[in-house]
Amino acid sequence: MFPKSLEFSISQPINDFVAFLIESYGETFRAISNFILSGLLQIEWVLRALPWWGTILIFMAVAYLCVRNYKLPLLVGALLMLAGMLGLWDLTMQTLALMLMATLISCLVGIPTGVLVAKVRVMRNILIPMLDIMQTMPSFVYLIPAIMLFGLGKVPAVLATIIYGVPPLIRLTSLGIRQVDQEVVEAALAFGSSSRQILFGVELPLAVPTILAGLNQTIMMSLSMVVVSSMIGARGLGQQVLEGIQTLDVGKGLEAGVGIVILAVVLDRITQGLGQSQRRD
Amino acid sequence: MSLKRKSLAAAALFLLAATYNASAESYCEQGKPLRLADVSWESGAFLTELLTKIFGDGYGCEIEKVSGNSLIMSHALITGDIDIYPEQWVGRTEVMNKARAEGTVRAAGHPYLDAREGWYVPDYVVNGDPERGIEPLAPELKSVEQLADPKIRALFSDPEEPSKGRFLNCPTGWSCERLNTAKLEGYGLDEYYTNFLPGSGAALDAEVASSYLRKQPVLFYYWNPTALMGTYKLLQLEEPAYSDECWDGLTSSDPKTQACAFPLGEVVYDVNVKFADQAPDIIEILSKATIPLETINEALAYMAKEKAEPADAATWFLKNYAHLWTNWVSTEAAEKINQGLN
Repeated sequence: MFPKSLEFSISQPINDFVAFLIESYGETFRAISNFILSGLLQIEWVLRALPWWGTILIFMAVAYLCVRNYKLPLLVGALLMLAGMLGLWDLTMQTLALMLMATLISCLVGIPTGVLVAKVRVMRNILIPMLDIMQTMPSFVYLIPAIMLFGLGKVPAVLATIIYGVPPLIRLTSLGIRQVDQEVVEAALAFGSSSRQILFGVELPLAVPTILAGLNQTIMMSLSMVVVSSMIGARGLGQQVLEGIQTLDVGKGLEAGVGIVILAVVLDRITQGLGQSQRRD
Repeated sequence: MSLKRKSLAAAALFLLAATYNASAESYCEQGKPLRLADVSWESGAFLTELLTKIFGDGYGCEIEKVSGNSLIMSHALITGDIDIYPEQWVGRTEVMNKARAEGTVRAAGHPYLDAREGWYVPDYVVNGDPERGIEPLAPELKSVEQLADPKIRALFSDPEEPSKGRFLNCPTGWSCERLNTAKLEGYGLDEYYTNFLPGSGAALDAEVASSYLRKQPVLFYYWNPTALMGTYKLLQLEEPAYSDECWDGLTSSDPKTQACAFPLGEVVYDVNVKFADQAPDIIEILSKATIPLETINEALAYMAKEKAEPADAATWFLKNYAHLWTNWVSTEAAEKINQGLN
């Protein structure tokens, strides 16, 4: 037995701290939450207002621009068609809006942080263990306080998705920048470039394929959070999976599961194609 | 001759029965484990732990707790993979109705009587709370019908759809979720309120607790007995009285044009019938083990306030309510249970 005298617990101070935050700053957090929510609702409004064939065409066009062949656009079109025919169109669009919002914020946060991690050794020593924590901490542990601060629904879902999904983007951005050939950087220095010019003109462009691989991983990991998101009241495909599981309606759960897979394949192939075309250029 | 023979046979049978009775060991003494459904909600978890202590300590049963959600556990009870389901609301799911009718599952007693459920708002929304400095926001709010009033609606506004109010329904996939959805339509409130599914019990509790701490109004479905009921001062909105006719319309017809209050819930210990036939001693104890609703709410509030495990709440109950449970068990078992508490 472990000696009782050495045991300690941090649960009560943490509970008190969360209660204090809610009582004193609850409204501030709700205001932040409403700000994120308004952005998300706009994305969702656009996606749901577009006619279904319009959305499919846009996706096919983006796919074509990324790979410059006809195979991928046809696959993308067929898969989205299948999602619609399974009766999942509206749910898929809601989930997609959530994914897009989470990915957007992930990029805004993840790429600069990745650059920082690559450039500053102290940041690397602090942030890398934090990324490990973000990926392994069971999500409900931070989701419940997040719900209490930000309210139920889409906003805590976006936050949870970012926390779980952003680490690969940070890691791979940092890797991409550190992998840039030192001789190229030296050459740029020899021409008298400032460190800002080196970063934006040399290092970041050369790191783009690696960063895109990170983005691809971020999107894939975000999609694995769809069901968890539905457990805190975010509508979308996850909710139907949850309903299927909870009522032993295996077929319904599987249908919605297929919807998530379709979204994953479409987004994965498009971002992968983008990365590869960058590499070819 | 034949008479003699008959009486002889009868005597033999009687003897046999008598010896059988004398040697009849209790279910657990035969070395069989007692398999309980370890359901996850507060009162279910509390009752599971209570039964674990009573049968484990008092009767030397080997307890196996099997965890899973309500539906999976119900199926396990029907197939006999578990023996006792500690808290089942009668008539709420098709699966259990069918199993009861077919006689694979039966009720063995009531953990508590007259369970209430309904639509709630925090008490301060209507009556205010001078101690916490809260003015009443809707002093006239009393019943579900008033929810359609635009002024009341605005209080519960849904940030994701600000033109509507937000009604916090049951977590996705629970049977109460379907009923609340039907009621929302039956009261004609579905055009004024979003039917918000919180996704999980934890999320629903977190939102209610957070609203309470922030002194904000919130409209939600909830049920007794729960820690939440014992912890916060909540007000149940009045609904038209329950009638079978209205309830049938609510659960079967479409579109739904009327609605009414939930029936007072009958909550039972469900047991697998095969198990029940083999374990009359256990069934007898279950049939006596009824706890007053307030006492359960109190135990659950203790659990929430002290952040105690369900097992600790069961110990707390056994220590403080000896006058209740000692009537359920034999003196010998009561002694053993008391020994286990120290």
